[in-house]
Amino acid sequence: MYTPDFEEVASLDEFSSADRLEVFIGDTPVLLIQLDDQVFAIEDVCTHDGQPLTNGCIEEGVIICPRHGARFDIKTGKALCMPATKSIQTFEVEVRDRKVFARSVN
Amino acid sequence: MSTPSVNTSAEIPAGFGEAAFEAFLTTRDEPDWVTQSRRQAFKRYSELLESELDPEEWRRVDLRALRPDRFQLNAGSENSKDSADGKHAETLLKDQAEFAGHVTHVDGQLASNDLAAELAAKGVIFGDLATVVREHSDLIQKHFMTRAVDSETDRFSAWHAAFWTGGTVLYVPRNVVIETPLYSLITLQTEKAADFSHTLIILEEGASATLLEETASTTTENLGLHMGAVELLLAKEARLRYVQLQNWNHKVWHIAHQAGRVDNSGFLQWTVGGIGAKLAHIHQDVVLDGRGAEAEVNGVTFATDKQIHSFYTQQVHNGQGTRSDLLYKQVLRDHSRAIWRGMIRVEPEGQQTNGYQRNDSLMLSSTSRVDAIPGLEIEADDVRCTHGATAGRVDEEQIFYCMSRGMSEYEAMHMIVEGFFQTVFDRIPVEVVRETLNQAIIKKLGFGR
Repeated sequence: MYTPDFEEVASLDEFSSADRLEVFIGDTPVLLIQLDDQVFAIEDVCTHDGQPLTNGCIEEGVIICPRHGARFDIKTGKALCMPATKSIQTFEVEVRDRKVFARSVN
Repeated sequence: MSTPSVNTSAEIPAGFGEAAFEAFLTTRDEPDWVTQSRRQAFKRYSELLESELDPEEWRRVDLRALRPDRFQLNAGSENSKDSADGKHAETLLKDQAEFAGHVTHVDGQLASNDLAAELAAKGVIFGDLATVVREHSDLIQKHFMTRAVDSETDRFSAWHAAFWTGGTVLYVPRNVVIETPLYSLITLQTEKAADFSHTLIILEEGASATLLEETASTTTENLGLHMGAVELLLAKEARLRYVQLQNWNHKVWHIAHQAGRVDNSGFLQWTVGGIGAKLAHIHQDVVLDGRGAEAEVNGVTFATDKQIHSFYTQQVHNGQGTRSDLLYKQVLRDHSRAIWRGMIRVEPEGQQTNGYQRNDSLMLSSTSRVDAIPGLEIEADDVRCTHGATAGRVDEEQIFYCMSRGMSEYEAMHMIVEGFFQTVFDRIPVEVVRETLNQAIIKKLGFGR
């Protein structure tokens, strides 16, 4: 199976004033989220209404869609409650020399 | 009067900032009023970039991945001459029928054009906007972005008005009837090229014409941007059949403002085919100004992979006794998405209006998505307006039945999809368009692969 190469998408220093960063992997908008000293990457699109999750509240490893309240697990992408029924895409993340690299998992 | 110094070989910086705009202007040889209108539009574009887009139109369309600084305008016509006639593009309509004239653009620049001598002798003008605006400045000034597409509508119309590169102009004088269709081809050839073509059709009183327009890419890999506009202006008792078949590769952004205005007893038949593009958003207005004006709008779209096809349509009834009939048929597969927001608006003067709009969507996979939102705004009290939308999956039993009669799954799927489109095909009187759309659908389904 084809696995894409890691792309450098951000630096850890950019998290200094925020807990999340908006980046692109290819043409896909991706949200980088720093959680418990780890960085996770999720597709920044709610699977319910197709709009950004960018400004959603983050509570205990879950991001909440700011429009209709759909909840997604940041680590696995799994949809946890209605109105979303489909998982969001997650990305593999590596941090090397304070630089954040990411690639699509599948 | 023309711009004093023109440098068609100048390099225009990537993006659409002030430096790119000023460099772009140095490559243009056009009347002063055009330059002035570009400057006004650029100022407006810069202002509109700071304000939000209309949520009614844009809330379902994700534009975050559209990064204008990645695209670049082609200054000269060197590349376009190299590929005259867009022969490298995989076109659907070209060579499929006899045409009375053609115009071909490559990367926003004219590559070639011709028109039958007998039509030119009757005063018909069919050519490239960048040329026609110099040769018939008064005619273009009267009609260009004055009545149909408004450069102030949003950032995209202003963006187009500032940077339009060329496009197809058709002018048909009073009572001239053109029986044979005309053909316009717009292609993107270079990686990250931008096309800002503008189609302007002016039909004088009693004139009649058919224009088939197609957009195509020369490769499947190149990124591209089309920021277009279409203006269809029909005077009293004019008849126009206009077809636009959007067939870009899956890496092109296609955003367009399109508007038609129809005067007394005029008839506009407008067919939109949407097959290609990464994301296509068309703002389509049909305005019936005169008593008894009629418009028939047909839409056929087929989205696959992660394509997004979005339409924002308005049928505006300004005149008395006008009729509009809109039918969009959309098929989706894979993770594609279709958005259709339609509105019939009847002004207080639009008594005895007959307005109809319908959108049907067929989803071939559970991962595709459709948003269809029909609407009515009626300010007259003696009208007949109806609308509706349907969305659904292919019936598994229909597939099973076809397969039990000896068809493969692809054949069954093709038959069902073709049947779904048939009601809109029946409304398209130009045979080559029907056949071309059908071939495009077969290809898109992967039938026979």
